[in-house]
Amino acid sequence: MIADQRRKRLTDAMQESGLDVLLVYGNAWQGDYLRYATDFGILEGQALAIVRGDGHITLYVDSPLEADRAGLDCPGIEIVLAPDLVGEVDEALNRMRNRSMGAAPQRLLPRRIAARAADLKLTDETGFVDRLLMGKLDSEIAAIRKSAKLADAGYKVFMQAARVGRADYELVAEAEAFFRANGVDDNFQIIGVGGVEVKGMAPPSGKRLKRGDMVTTELTPCVDGYYAQICRTLVMGEPTSEQKGAHALWRESMEAGIATVRDGVTAADIAKAENDVFRKYGMGKYTTSEFTRVRGHGMGLFADTKPHILEDVTTRIDAGMALIVHPNTYHPAVGYMVLGDGIAVTKAGCEVLTGTARELFSVAG
Amino acid sequence: MRRGLMGWNAEELPVATLEARLERLRAGMAKAGMDAFVIYTNNTRPSAVAYVTGFTPYWSDALMLVGKTGEPVFATALSKRVSEWIRTTDPLSEIVNTPKPGTLMGERLAKDSTVKKVGVLEYDTLPSGLADDMATAAPAVEWIDGTALFTGLRRETDDSECRLLARADAMAGAALREAETGKATDAGTLAGLVEQSARLAGAEETYIAVAPDLDADKRLNRTSQPTPLTDRFAVRASIAYKGCWVRRTRTFAKDRSAAKADAWFGDVVRSIEAGKPIASQLTAKLKELPGATLTGWMAESCTGSYPLSAVASSRLPAKDAPVNGQFLVLTVELALDSGPWLAAAPLIVGRATL
Repeated sequence: MIADQRRKRLTDAMQESGLDVLLVYGNAWQGDYLRYATDFGILEGQALAIVRGDGHITLYVDSPLEADRAGLDCPGIEIVLAPDLVGEVDEALNRMRNRSMGAAPQRLLPRRIAARAADLKLTDETGFVDRLLMGKLDSEIAAIRKSAKLADAGYKVFMQAARVGRADYELVAEAEAFFRANGVDDNFQIIGVGGVEVKGMAPPSGKRLKRGDMVTTELTPCVDGYYAQICRTLVMGEPTSEQKGAHALWRESMEAGIATVRDGVTAADIAKAENDVFRKYGMGKYTTSEFTRVRGHGMGLFADTKPHILEDVTTRIDAGMALIVHPNTYHPAVGYMVLGDGIAVTKAGCEVLTGTARELFSVAG
Repeated sequence: MRRGLMGWNAEELPVATLEARLERLRAGMAKAGMDAFVIYTNNTRPSAVAYVTGFTPYWSDALMLVGKTGEPVFATALSKRVSEWIRTTDPLSEIVNTPKPGTLMGERLAKDSTVKKVGVLEYDTLPSGLADDMATAAPAVEWIDGTALFTGLRRETDDSECRLLARADAMAGAALREAETGKATDAGTLAGLVEQSARLAGAEETYIAVAPDLDADKRLNRTSQPTPLTDRFAVRASIAYKGCWVRRTRTFAKDRSAAKADAWFGDVVRSIEAGKPIASQLTAKLKELPGATLTGWMAESCTGSYPLSAVASSRLPAKDAPVNGQFLVLTVELALDSGPWLAAAPLIVGRATL
């Protein structure tokens, strides 16, 4: 089982690092550290887990409903319903105070526990867990592959749902129904509907689709905890020549980024390859933070995981990582446009996980 | 993450309502000697900021600062490009985009020489990165836990909140009726249909959980698997509409044995009174349902940053006497002659309907 493999990898790494105890925090927004250690996909409230070097794990949750869910989802883990989450974990850490202890992600740890870091000799081990999260096991890549296939299928459902007069949230509703019926527990999705006035993507606002609108989406289904993303743009009706031209640039940029990916390059190398295409066409300003956030990012137990693909991020890209390469940004003539494929990094290059055509789709009104 | 309909609507949540809530918070602050109040939000702890401003983050986190006067300051690490969207859901605040929301809040507080004591909602569980940044930028400030103050404010439910809760509840009720149609024979498909119904009706978020075989296991879980639904199963729909969350749980039994308990529960929900422990009210009511045994119960409410959290239950030691006008979600588990039965529904104490 994937969770058992991860747990063994974690405890082996703890042993190598001389770490007796690891405290991990999670909520439904940032749940990857917790999921890595416990396999629990938390939905409500907050949780902390104490991982001991011998493999014994105690998961503390503050919601009775989540305690029930954890009991079903996490066999082999000790589950504690802790309405006073911080108090209970604080006491447990006290009992371990002579051991070598670390925590991740440090910045999200409850303040009262973090305030005792010096007293407890609790070190920041965020980077230690980040390395495990980024470098995937074969079974983790297999799960991401499954998610990527469902992202392709989900995008088809999304396209079929797109009709003139429908509200943006109705498209999401159709995709979600498909996902729940097909093994996808969760999904990260934002959407953009309109033209040059659209500067980015956000949750649905109730906008109704009309002829000529571009509809952008990032669809990120999660299978067995692993998210894989696809970014595509469709047009309600026939795309204009400007929309087609913009899409050709986006595609050239994404393909330049993907062609750069291999074991040993940096995140910056991939971002530079994408951005150079924009610069070649005099569109360099649209690669800056005024118009775009990142040029891609990691995929895994978090929808927007490290490394971020940016020209100032020097993280080494290793075989076994999974990324999305997406030169999503604003175009002054057509609005915000997206295109992105998920990939798994190999020694010689990468395996493209996304199967959907790299087209600017046209949906009849 | 939130991926349903999000957006502020002046008719549903008038600015006057938000201003009144803010004034109540400020009155509480003055009484407690607090010069300012800080509230944290993320998409799993959105409810306190949503109560004061209408805003719920779909992703990432943020801090809100309420001073003695003026508009609240909302500081977020979300990019400037997202500000336009934030403005569509928050009509009140000054929105500041910064990579260091904690530092910005600390600097604002440090600049004002009249600020000595600052209340923080759920101070113990404030993310340490933000807490450290605030404390470093405002070393002279005394930080106080403001949870009790805020919880006190939330014991009352104003008309706007009642209307939003009622809308969310209508979505939950309609979504659960998908289980009566027979269109789904497995848990994943049913979860999809229930979720689809709520999202098509404009839900901001939905968490659907299923216990596909109640006789084997009463615990409900999120599912996307084709686990067959047996003759007795239960579904829970936790639904948000414009920041207001409700839960409804229903038991579906082929032998129709749930119907009598459903009717009994509807009466219980309409009749919960203030000032009396819920456990004793349930025990008294149970006499009207011969052959049923109470195996568990829980009352949840929105008291702080969590959308819903247990305020009293058969598993948690707590004072459980509700107060008039309090919003609760009541969950009850019974053992019937025919098998286990679960239900949950929202209510306002002292009112027959939401």
